[in-house]
Amino acid sequence: MELPLTEAVLLILLSLAEHPRHGYSILKDVEEVSGGRVVLSTGTLYGALRRLLDEGWIERFEEDDTTRGRQAYRLTTLGQRTLQTEVTRLKQLTRVASLRTARRGA
Amino acid sequence: MVALYQKLLYLYPRFYRQQFAEEMTAVFRDVDEEARRRGSIITMKFYVREAGGLLRGAVTEHFRRIFGSQIPSPLFPMRFTMRPGFRFPKSTSFLMTVILAGIVLAIDKAEAIRTALPADIAPVGPMWAPHVNILTTIVLTFLLVDFVAAVGWVVLFALHRSGVQRLEETSSAPERS
Repeated sequence: MELPLTEAVLLILLSLAEHPRHGYSILKDVEEVSGGRVVLSTGTLYGALRRLLDEGWIERFEEDDTTRGRQAYRLTTLGQRTLQTEVTRLKQLTRVASLRTARRGA
Repeated sequence: MVALYQKLLYLYPRFYRQQFAEEMTAVFRDVDEEARRRGSIITMKFYVREAGGLLRGAVTEHFRRIFGSQIPSPLFPMRFTMRPGFRFPKSTSFLMTVILAGIVLAIDKAEAIRTALPADIAPVGPMWAPHVNILTTIVLTFLLVDFVAAVGWVVLFALHRSGVQRLEETSSAPERS
């Protein structure tokens, strides 16, 4: 398992953290969560999804509504663990950064 | 535009198209409809982004198909799969250059000795190609070194792909009593 994650991958995993999503829903959620800073193309999104599938961090999820070629994805246990590890790492980094910048400002 | 997008998807490897083409087209159609509603500038930005993403994605997938997932694509160095355990050692390039320089110097020195000898002494050397000059020799040497390096790299790559380096990490199953 290789950390840290890129921002795009982290955002994709975060968008799947709450519930399964389709490709379009992931695109919109990533854009919203990043404040419009990260806008993925379909090529980039599905390249990342393919790698996440290969890594076993996400899986395809069968839904009743499979119209228009839609396919939902959800985090696997391994994916949840990876995301949790990365979030913990970021929290620790943020804490250290806050402490150091506060010291410098004092 | 959806028809053009579907044609561009043929740039991807077949297995990738079989797995994702339908989904990608559906998502493209949704985003395309939304972008059109938001105006022409946003639509143009969307098309440019999609074209770039598709081309880069296609190159990356072909790269992965050929070289495997352990070697990061130069166009898509995503960290979550990349940072492979195997890396071509940087010192190898340096050593190869040093070796090549040594060979060139040795050839140059031999050439100087040969010209310094009296003409009546027959030169000792490759009689099969007396016309080969120093430049040809350098080029041939360089090609030979490259070939040897490529063979070595292929062997290392094959060993890495076999997973032999992970054997030490595997734990033996507990013995049943």
